Amino acid sequence: MICLVLALLIVMNRMTALQKEVDFVSQHDLEVHDLANQIQKNMLDMETGMRGYVITGDEQYLEPYNQANRSWLDNYNKLHSLLAKNGSQQRTLEEMKPLIINWVSNYGEAAIQQKKAGNIAALNKQFNNHKEEKVMEQLRTQFTSFLTKEKKLTNERINELRQNNTNLKITLYALVVVVTVITLATAFFLSHSIVNTIREVVKTIHSITESKVDLTTRIHVKTKDETRELAEAMNSLLSSLEKQSWIQKSVTEISLIYQGITDVTELSRAFLTKLAPMLEAVYGVVYLRKDQDDDTVYVKAAGYALADDQTAASFRLGEGVIGQAAADKRIFLIDQLPEEHFKMTTGLGASSPRNLLVAPILYDGRVEAVVEFAALQPFQSQHLTLLDVLQDKFGSAITSVLGRMEVERLLGESQVLTEELQTQSEELQAQSEELQMQQDQLQTTNEFLAMEKQSAEQRAVELKKAKDELEEYSRKLQESSQYKSDFLANMSHELRTPLNSIIILSQMLMENDGEMDMDEVKESARVVHTAGGDLLRMIDDILDLSKIEAGKIEILTDEVNVTELPQMLQNMFDPVAAKKNLAFEVVTAPDVPDVIATDGQRLQQILKNLLSNAFKFTEKGSVTVRIELAEPEKTAEYLGTNRREPVLAISVTDTGIGIPHDKQEIIFDAFQQVDGTTNRQYGGTGLGLSICREFTHLLGGALTVESEPGEGSTFTLYIPSRLESEKPELLAREEVAVSLSEPVEQEEVPPLEDTSSDEQIFKGKKVLLVEDDGRNVFALVTALEKKGVAVQVAENGKVAVDMLQEQGDFDLVFMDIMMPVMGGYEAMKLIREELGMHELPIIALTAKGMKGERDKCMDAGASDYIMKPFNINQLFSLMRVWLTEQVESE
Amino acid sequence: MSFEEETETTPLNELEQIEINLLLEGLYQKYGYDFRSYVRTSLSRRIIHRMRAERLPTITALLEKILHDPAYLERLLNDLSIRMTEMYRDPSFFAAFRNEVVPLLRDLPEIRIWHAGCATGEEVYSMAILIQEEGLAEKTKIYATDINEKALRSARKGAFPLEKMQQYTKNYLRAGGKKAFSEYYTTDHQFAYFHPIMEDNLTFAQHNLVTDGSFNEFHVILCRNVMIYFNNDLQQKVHRLLYNSLADGGFVGLGSKESILFMPPGLDYEEFNATERIYQKRK
Ligand SMILES: C[S@@+](CC[C@H](N)C(=O)[O-])C[C@H]1O[C@@H](n2cnc3c(N)ncnc32)[C@H](O)[C@@H]1O
Repeated sequence: MICLVLALLIVMNRMTALQKEVDFVSQHDLEVHDLANQIQKNMLDMETGMRGYVITGDEQYLEPYNQANRSWLDNYNKLHSLLAKNGSQQRTLEEMKPLIINWVSNYGEAAIQQKKAGNIAALNKQFNNHKEEKVMEQLRTQFTSFLTKEKKLTNERINELRQNNTNLKITLYALVVVVTVITLATAFFLSHSIVNTIREVVKTIHSITESKVDLTTRIHVKTKDETRELAEAMNSLLSSLEKQSWIQKSVTEISLIYQGITDVTELSRAFLTKLAPMLEAVYGVVYLRKDQDDDTVYVKAAGYALADDQTAASFRLGEGVIGQAAADKRIFLIDQLPEEHFKMTTGLGASSPRNLLVAPILYDGRVEAVVEFAALQPFQSQHLTLLDVLQDKFGSAITSVLGRMEVERLLGESQVLTEELQTQSEELQAQSEELQMQQDQLQTTNEFLAMEKQSAEQRAVELKKAKDELEEYSRKLQESSQYKSDFLANMSHELRTPLNSIIILSQMLMENDGEMDMDEVKESARVVHTAGGDLLRMIDDILDLSKIEAGKIEILTDEVNVTELPQMLQNMFDPVAAKKNLAFEVVTAPDVPDVIATDGQRLQQILKNLLSNAFKFTEKGSVTVRIELAEPEKTAEYLGTNRREPVLAISVTDTGIGIPHDKQEIIFDAFQQVDGTTNRQYGGTGLGLSICREFTHLLGGALTVESEPGEGSTFTLYIPSRLESEKPELLAREEVAVSLSEPVEQEEVPPLEDTSSDEQIFKGKKVLLVEDDGRNVFALVTALEKKGVAVQVAENGKVAVDMLQEQGDFDLVFMDIMMPVMGGYEAMKLIREELGMHELPIIALTAKGMKGERDKCMDAGASDYIMKPFNINQLFSLMRVWLTEQVESE
Repeated sequence: MSFEEETETTPLNELEQIEINLLLEGLYQKYGYDFRSYVRTSLSRRIIHRMRAERLPTITALLEKILHDPAYLERLLNDLSIRMTEMYRDPSFFAAFRNEVVPLLRDLPEIRIWHAGCATGEEVYSMAILIQEEGLAEKTKIYATDINEKALRSARKGAFPLEKMQQYTKNYLRAGGKKAFSEYYTTDHQFAYFHPIMEDNLTFAQHNLVTDGSFNEFHVILCRNVMIYFNNDLQQKVHRLLYNSLADGGFVGLGSKESILFMPPGLDYEEFNATERIYQKRK
């Protein structure tokens, strides 16, 4: 180690020496040359001065002469002393001195004196012998040799120096080799510490240059030598670099947070949250500029680690430190805050930051915001640098976010307006639809009312009729209740009579203790038997009648063979006729149908009753039945007009006692016989004709009577043939009553079937069919006319256009596409463009599977299209759409 | 046409504002209908319209009726939900849907479509026809919801007044309809009936966007001209509901006057077709 140091010292020493030498050589050389040149110049000055004066006689030329004459000796002496170390050169110099003195005194001064004296001849002589020139020449030669020599000397010295230098270099190299060897040896043999340090330096540098990541790495030195210094120097470089990069990194990091933030408050908060930890601040607040009228205020936008009430909400320009910082546009750095300035609170307690940093955020020369930070420890220089760098960035971020916010606000406003407009338009439309609906309703109500009025009038008539009917009915009801009580009275009388005889006779028989003989007993028993039979028949009849009245008699319509009727009647009544000695005959007209549809059993019952009556009231003569077709007038009279089915007229004529005219109406009422007494005489229940008439009604027929008292009677039964059972009048009336009395359910929409029905859409509409195919025309016209549409046909487009031009009142046009003369496309174009009929619905009839036809139709101006072959219902659907008046939409 | 009572736009006084607040609160507390976050201007117009129609002197009087007589409620609700709609409303939207969205749906094994706020169903049947024409009817399920029961009842019928069918025909053709429109309906003298189109795959149900949640994951959601009646906050809420009900890569379609400006942040949509207001949820 020591020898190494010694060697180094020697080298150092040598190096200093060498340096001195170099200095000397260059300094000395410079001076020698300079002085030699000075002397030479003095000589030249003197020579030219002297010559000038001699030639011109101008005193001015003497000035440089005198000057040089004064200074040359000075220079000579200086040079002489400089050359003290160099004897030979000194001698050369000394040799030159007398030459100079000689020239001055013998030539220079002499020439000047002669000129002054005006001795031209002497002057000429002097110059013409050239002695003066020779002296000068000699002087110059000597100077040149002097300088040459001097140069040679210098070169020698330089060479020497070079040699020294080379030596030194070699020494140095040797030294380096030695040092390296020693170092390596030491490192190798003694310790790894130095190597490690170097390695670490190298590694650190590598890692920094390569990865550019971690500037916080430091070289850890354990030794106490030069490597430590190196390491430390390196470390300090690193830390300065780290500061630099910290600032850079922080700036980038903070710039990153601006991305995607659209709100200044949020921006301020993000800025604070990021920056405060970087500045090691424990508190921070951002005040943003706000222009209020003419005033500029800084309003708190965000705080860091602060309760709201801890800070002032706003500052005016120049107010407080915040306001001042904004006004002065400069940073305020305050340490040593009084403790009570404010407190930072944590969960555990409170402490007072003593350092405050207030910085304006400038952008475009305007203070956009002021930030304030407080820290427990003093702020560092890099903190200030960072803030300085950030000013601009934060400022521009604020302006851009504010700009964006403004744009967004305006956009939002316009969007709200757009939506408001849309809702309004929708509302209006809804309202217009509502109105339309109300109008429609009003109209339908009006129509309904008109109809109501009409039907009310009709109803009034009907009501009047109903009232009349009701009155009639109530009269009848009164009558019928009268009739019923009469009936009951009669019935009880009728029932009592036979019962009376039965009771009396049977009592007599009971009490018979042999006073009655056998004949008497027989007679009594016969009377009781007959009376019982009478009673039974009467009860049957009453039952029949009450069934009829209650509508409980079922009518079974069936085919009745008219040809069998005479035989049947004859079988039944021939015995009676024979017994009473009366003629009995059944006559059938030839045009009578063989079969009619009616209830055969009821028909028999009616005929049986009529015949029984006839035989009952006829004592002599004949009873005749006639079966024939009813005369139309009679049918019309009794059964109403418009009967298509055949009506039979079966009459029963007798030659009996006849019926008085005034009684002919009442004989059909129950228990009515022409007079009370006939009863006794002829027997019977008196119910027969009533039952006949009711049955006849049930069969849809009528029963009439013609009679002359004392001559006989003719009962005629009109009986229709009817296949479907028509509802008997009585039942029908009952149903009507029922449907009237039940409350009719009120429909929400008044039923207006006849005003707005399908018919309304089609009926009377005028349609133009443009089609050349006869079959199609036939099919369509038939279908449309069935719907009540008035169709006109054009066999090609040309004809159609002409027709439309003549009559503009078509409601709809069907347009075939492929037609001679003028096809559908062209026709539609003409109709729309030339005729200007833009609203007229035109339905194109296209063929299925024709690509692009649809678009061509639409381009030509068709309203809609339908593809052939089509379903007729689809066509009607489409027509409903295009024939219905549309509500306005927008 | 004149709308006398409506064009009379006297701004509401403070008292009326209070009354309207009370009415909305009452409506919510008594019946659960929450209109409190609807745009006030529109609501006020509708409420005052109803008040006048009922010949009542004040909004409070209307509130009284509504609280005690469900018939009034029905009529007010009807007024509050504007059901203006059309078949193929904004035909260009449906054209864009057919040409741009449908190709991306084609390869899905199943397609679920939600019409939120379907009103009387015009939009739904329009979509059903479109889907059928594109040959996707088999695998597509359409769910149509609205808050308004009456509207839904009429939607289920699929019957639309003849008086509007000419317009609908034009719209259908403009929207790129492939057939003759008349192939899809039958008529009587009042209505065109659109049944049966996709009947098995068409579901109508009541659903309130304000109070009810998501009920499935959809590939397409149309919520057109519904949110324009909502205020900003409610729009954000509904946007979130729609977003959460959408499959990744799914589409949402809005009305022509609506924008995603009021969407809450964080909904990752791509502007698929901005002019037609079709947005795609990023995968
Ligand atoms: C104007 S219509 C829009 C119909 C259709 N989407 C269109 O664009 O043609 C608005 C519909 O939204 C419905 N609506 C309003 N508020 C709603 C809510 N909270 N939830 C569900 N539907 C609502 C209304 O009932 C109405 O039918």
